[in-house]
Amino acid sequence: MASRAPSSLEALAAAVQEVRPDGFRDLYIERVADTVWALEGGAVVGRHTLLREGAAVRFPGTLRSSDGATRVILAELLGVPGRRLPPVSFPPFPPAPPLEGLAAETLRAVQAVRWRWRWAGLVDERSWRELLRPQLGELTCHDGFRILSTWPPVAAPADQEPRLPRGPVPPTGPLRVLLAPAAAAVLLHEGVGHLLEGDLLAANHRPLVALGTELADPALTVVDDPTRSDLPGGFSADDEGVPARRRRLLEGGVVVGLLADRETAPRFGVPPGSARRASVHSWPRPRISNLVLEVAEPPETPLRHEADVEVASVRSGSLAARTGQVRLAVRRAWRLRRGRRVHALPPFLLAGSLVDALRRLRVAGPPAPSGEPGWCGKAGEVVPVGAVTPWLLTEGLEVR
Amino acid sequence: MRGGLALGPPALERAADELAHHTSRFEVYAKAGETFLFRFLPGGRLERRQQREVGVGCRAAVRGLVGFGAAAGSAPASGRDAARATLASLLPGPDPLPPFSLLGASAVPPAPSLGDPAGGEQLLGQLAAALTRTGEGLSLQELRLLLGRSVVTLVTGEGFAAAAASAACLLEAVVAAEEGPWRVFQFAARSPAELDVELLATTARETTLLLARGTAPREGLVDALLAPPVAATLVAALAEHLLAGKGTAAGRAGRVSEAWHLVDARAGPQGLVPMPFDGEGLPSRRLPLAAQGVAGGRLGTWADAQRFGCPWGAAVRPSYQHPPRAGPANLVVTPPEPLPQGELLHHLERGVFVPLCSGPVTVDESGRFSLPVAAASLRRGRVAAVHPAAELRGSFRRLLGGLLAGGEDAQSFSLSCAVTTPSLLVRGLTLG
Repeated sequence: MASRAPSSLEALAAAVQEVRPDGFRDLYIERVADTVWALEGGAVVGRHTLLREGAAVRFPGTLRSSDGATRVILAELLGVPGRRLPPVSFPPFPPAPPLEGLAAETLRAVQAVRWRWRWAGLVDERSWRELLRPQLGELTCHDGFRILSTWPPVAAPADQEPRLPRGPVPPTGPLRVLLAPAAAAVLLHEGVGHLLEGDLLAANHRPLVALGTELADPALTVVDDPTRSDLPGGFSADDEGVPARRRRLLEGGVVVGLLADRETAPRFGVPPGSARRASVHSWPRPRISNLVLEVAEPPETPLRHEADVEVASVRSGSLAARTGQVRLAVRRAWRLRRGRRVHALPPFLLAGSLVDALRRLRVAGPPAPSGEPGWCGKAGEVVPVGAVTPWLLTEGLEVR
Repeated sequence: MRGGLALGPPALERAADELAHHTSRFEVYAKAGETFLFRFLPGGRLERRQQREVGVGCRAAVRGLVGFGAAAGSAPASGRDAARATLASLLPGPDPLPPFSLLGASAVPPAPSLGDPAGGEQLLGQLAAALTRTGEGLSLQELRLLLGRSVVTLVTGEGFAAAAASAACLLEAVVAAEEGPWRVFQFAARSPAELDVELLATTARETTLLLARGTAPREGLVDALLAPPVAATLVAALAEHLLAGKGTAAGRAGRVSEAWHLVDARAGPQGLVPMPFDGEGLPSRRLPLAAQGVAGGRLGTWADAQRFGCPWGAAVRPSYQHPPRAGPANLVVTPPEPLPQGELLHHLERGVFVPLCSGPVTVDESGRFSLPVAAASLRRGRVAAVHPAAELRGSFRRLLGGLLAGGEDAQSFSLSCAVTTPSLLVRGLTLG
């Protein structure tokens, strides 16, 4: 996330601030380079590159956006004559990094590798700012599962554990579930992160939580941390130009903070700084960055002997904000007996009341960083997110 | 439709010029689209988004090497960037471009006019008023109207050039009963004039109130009347499955119901988005996927056809950002003997009515699907129990073999592709 020369952003900001289009709130400019390598047996068999550049201008209640960010396009979006703006040039698209730097076993274990570089700049009525994000790496496993991290993707996604024969799905009903950090990250993301997004809280006539709600076990403290540039959701400033800072969401299981943008912050009396855009064509909305579950003294090894099922990874998660029902589509899991894995489980669904799941949640092993859930979708708009969570044990979910 | 390269944005011409220095086996695909999105939010707040999406994607084959690159924007520099990204991505591989002699365009209905986009606000206001008119226990969460039009232009280094315009609109309502989850309703049409606001409001209101409270279903095999939104979701997933060549087992076994008549009507005239050519310039044609008791086999792009020996002409390309891939485009279900809904319910006698999806469908490799839904159990055509949250499960083999009849109530939807389907009555799905 190293800073770079401001290119022509400063001159552009001066011109826009002088022209002051009616109702102008901000101008957002973005450049994104994506390269995808297709692999077979560790060898590259295809490579695609997509270079995107675009801009968006916000007025009260209106977003105008366009692919391309030439002076003509910017003038059109702002509704001002082109001659009032200076010539513009933004940081060039860098070349894709060499794939040879990745471990051979990683390349053999995946069907695709993706690299993303993203630069953005924001101009508002008074200031301008570059918005820096880490370069991202994504591995697509042979079953289509995608693992997101910052570049370079280091973890070999192959299932390292010894293979066990597959047994039946546990019978429908409640059970003790041990969630590995990658799976725990998805539960926290759905259950704490989305639940505390200001726009969803504002839209829900009867929100499940508010500041001060006792939501989870008193041992749980959760922070949203965009300053972690080693995780996929990091940024130097949010997409409304608010400098990044750690935001405490849960303290001792109690809701002490929310994720807000400039629009929802005043309503809840919390600072803004969580606005993110999926692309130039998206409104900035309150979004999760990197969720970190802080633990003082976690167990040194996972508490398998206290669980019926161990979930290693989750394909997807969802939360019905109105009813508080959370659903996790389990991808890899094992049946446990007396603390040992006895057989692998086919994919199944874990579901239940979020409040039950969080109140009956406790730390059950050491923390680990994770790119899960990776790409977070909300109303069709997708942003990268990360997490650091320990192993968690919950008795509040059922097999469905 | 054949001519010079003077079509499309300057980026297209620049990309073609750059690539022409290296090969005549190249293709430049440009798309320029404009979308107006209106969101009506609680408290009467209106959010407007005006979005212009434009860019070029290039494929090239140069002396045994092939590559793809794309860049956003309409300026010449974007075309240059796309061409250079393409040349930088060259790797050994078979030439994926169709031969010049096969390229062309079919006749299609003209793209409809969307009218003045500002009329969208009025339409949303009408829908909001219609939804809340009676006011009893219904909460309006969000209304969305999307008006979209685009022009795609495709040129090749051997002199083929073609362009096509399309337009469509999409209306979505997110509502909830006093007790119960949010429900999402979607209605798609070729133009706003085709949207019946009163009918949409009645459907959304009655369905939401019906499905507000109830119990979990007892898991078991049921005969299910799938309303158009549910049928469309499964039809889109089924078409993907068949196009990938995974449905032939059922076809060989003679287990495809005669009641199926599912085609990818790429050139129209039925369906939401007819187009004169596919994603790589091959003339659009009607692709039967399940008809007369037979399920279709694999269909693909030109490159798929060379690799798998399957028919070509099934390339789709939702954006300039990606190379063409095989997929359904404009699905249409037309039952041979459509029945009014009363008769479908009479056939059902004892089973479930499934009016709404409540989440995305998941499909495994073998074609078993699972779809979160809201449903109502019926006895003698009357509602016996309501299931606000249930899971509809089955396999495409079962879906192909178990279709009993279709309705007269066809509706269009914009999903991963365009789908137009009536209600479908299917035997032997699992509700749990």
